[in-house]
Amino acid sequence: MSLAWLSKLTVAAGLVALPATGWAQSVNISYLTHWSPETVALLEAAAKDFSKQNPDVAITVRAVPFGDLLTTLRSQGGSSDGPTIGGIYDLWLPELAKDKLVAPAPEAVAGEVKSAWPAGVVSAASVGGTLYGIPNEIDVYALNYNKELFKAAGISAPPRTWAEFKDAAAKLTDKDKGQQGFGMINSWAAGVVHPFASLLVSNGGNLVKDGKPALDSSQAGETFALYEDLIKSGASNPAMATADANTTGPFLDNFVSGKTGMIIMANWWESALKTGMGDKFANVATAPIPVGPSGDKPHSISYSWMTVVNAKAGAAEQKAAWQFLAWLNSPKSGRNGASAMSDILMSMGILPSRTSDIEAHKDKLGSEFLSGYVSVLADARPFPVVLGGQEFSESLQQTLEALQYGQVSAKDAQANAEADATSILERAAK
Amino acid sequence: MAKAFRASAGIMLAPAVTLIGVFVLVPMLLTVWLSFQDWSTQTPFSEANFVGLGNFQEIFGATSVGRDFKAALFNTAIYTALSVILILPLSVVLGLMVYQRDVAGGTALRTVLFSTYMVPMIAVALVWSKLYSPSEGPFNQLLGLIGISPQPWLSSPRSALVSIVLLNVWQQVGYFTVLAIAGLTQIPGSLYEAATLDGANRREQFRFITLPLLRRTLLFSAVIAIINAVQVFEPVALITQGGPVGSTNVLTYHIRRVGIERAQGGLGSAMAVMLMLSLIVCVSALFAFVNRKDSE
Repeated sequence: MSLAWLSKLTVAAGLVALPATGWAQSVNISYLTHWSPETVALLEAAAKDFSKQNPDVAITVRAVPFGDLLTTLRSQGGSSDGPTIGGIYDLWLPELAKDKLVAPAPEAVAGEVKSAWPAGVVSAASVGGTLYGIPNEIDVYALNYNKELFKAAGISAPPRTWAEFKDAAAKLTDKDKGQQGFGMINSWAAGVVHPFASLLVSNGGNLVKDGKPALDSSQAGETFALYEDLIKSGASNPAMATADANTTGPFLDNFVSGKTGMIIMANWWESALKTGMGDKFANVATAPIPVGPSGDKPHSISYSWMTVVNAKAGAAEQKAAWQFLAWLNSPKSGRNGASAMSDILMSMGILPSRTSDIEAHKDKLGSEFLSGYVSVLADARPFPVVLGGQEFSESLQQTLEALQYGQVSAKDAQANAEADATSILERAAK
Repeated sequence: MAKAFRASAGIMLAPAVTLIGVFVLVPMLLTVWLSFQDWSTQTPFSEANFVGLGNFQEIFGATSVGRDFKAALFNTAIYTALSVILILPLSVVLGLMVYQRDVAGGTALRTVLFSTYMVPMIAVALVWSKLYSPSEGPFNQLLGLIGISPQPWLSSPRSALVSIVLLNVWQQVGYFTVLAIAGLTQIPGSLYEAATLDGANRREQFRFITLPLLRRTLLFSAVIAIINAVQVFEPVALITQGGPVGSTNVLTYHIRRVGIERAQGGLGSAMAVMLMLSLIVCVSALFAFVNRKDSE
């Protein structure tokens, strides 16, 4: 080969290589979450690790309060400059997918998710058989109680039935000390609805059955009546139940300061309890949801969260986002065979949903607090993911709060809840 | 000559009129048009379907949509009325106190009063949500010192809206005090001197000189206070999220929930149109009332 040819080939090879080296465009992607600053710092550290291996991808993390998350996704997700990745609650997925705000997962990602996550979790991240997000956390409800208050009230074991539950709530109530037996929540839709739904399914009922509201059942009637009894007897005080936009507020303050004996809450509350209680966190124990008169065994409500990709983002941004999410949720990114995402979730007391992550975190999931949640997971019923689900949830919240404040009777609350749910779900399905 | 003048006036006015048209009138007309459509905020306008008065029927209907809207409209009306009723007299009283030249530290007091208006709402919300805390809040601790039992403040549907009103009054009263002082400076001192010579006492001077001559200032303050109150959003979004039992769910917050969170753009627009109409009716009625008094 002549020198002239050699030099031509060198120039050609250089030109071919240029786009991959000197001309490589850096891709900027953003991740929207509602996590606390401490957790955001962990996510930023993971993003930095990913960028070390993929220097052409820069990731920024942005956090908003939980109460603003859906609005931010709705108002900014419709543009290519909006967040590339968003952490969402499974109840929001059907409408975000209907409005084409979230992109279907690429085949390779969908295949990996379907093989590595439990089928129920995969279905919550799918609409019409198409997978839209990589599931990360799973949350389940259980009874949290203060062992010290139980001891002081002479209660030896957590209540297993509604009769025992009402009895314990009455014993734990001490108006002179400003102490309530059972803490309800208000001003936060999921915080109001999920504990009620957990009691309902433990009484053999359902919120929605075959896509239609099932709040007119006798089991639902008994659950509304249970709330009415707890309020009327003074065992639950709605004035101690308010939540703020960050899902904290007086209801949390009252439990951590030992003024609430029992509450039905999800596992992710662990970090808030530890922060609020310090050493006194050891007083908190977990038990299954008490079983109602029409129920067979303890059940609770579960729901999942997932990360989705903005369908309006550019092709390069979407590709980088899926690449980052696949890495973040893979066993390669975390410690001891766990994913980096599961390490972040476990720092908050949140159960990861990938099968290999549950195995990798077996030790921590066996802690006194979390084992109570892991044990009820098998019999948990997923919160119904339907079109109009968020509006349905907010409407039921209003009804339950009206019941808490004595504005309606249990019977009227049941009738209102069923009528509202029917009209909301019918309109959403159109 | 007149023609040339009109043409040049038209040319001079065109930029401002175009800007107002594009940024004020077009969005308003668009909102009115959308209020007659079934439209998701996540889809292009071309996908909107005409539904006539359907959205208005729904927001005034018996379903949860109608019930929530009517409750939010009622809450907004109560919030606005209470805010105006408390802010206007307070601003006049504080204005009179600060305007007295013989009171030492008047300027400092004026600065302190106005400073609350400059504090960002996020800081106000953070502090006031703790002040109102039922168990550890300083308000209840102070009430306890004088033997009054703890109040639920934001935790009860009976007191939550009033608690938000008090927060609003605290923040806005300084601004309206400055307006009242501006009005007081316009009243000639000679009128008071003449009234004093005629034997009028302070109360009579206030009733027959100050108040009538402050009418225009108070009208302006009332209009601004109504507009500010109707647009209340931040304290509700930051502190109560419309609860408990929807007792602080005011219209702007509700429209945001319906129009943005649920993406029901047609329904949200119909609610916004009703809010706009209510505001126009209120302000027009106020002007008509004051004009009638003036004619009398």
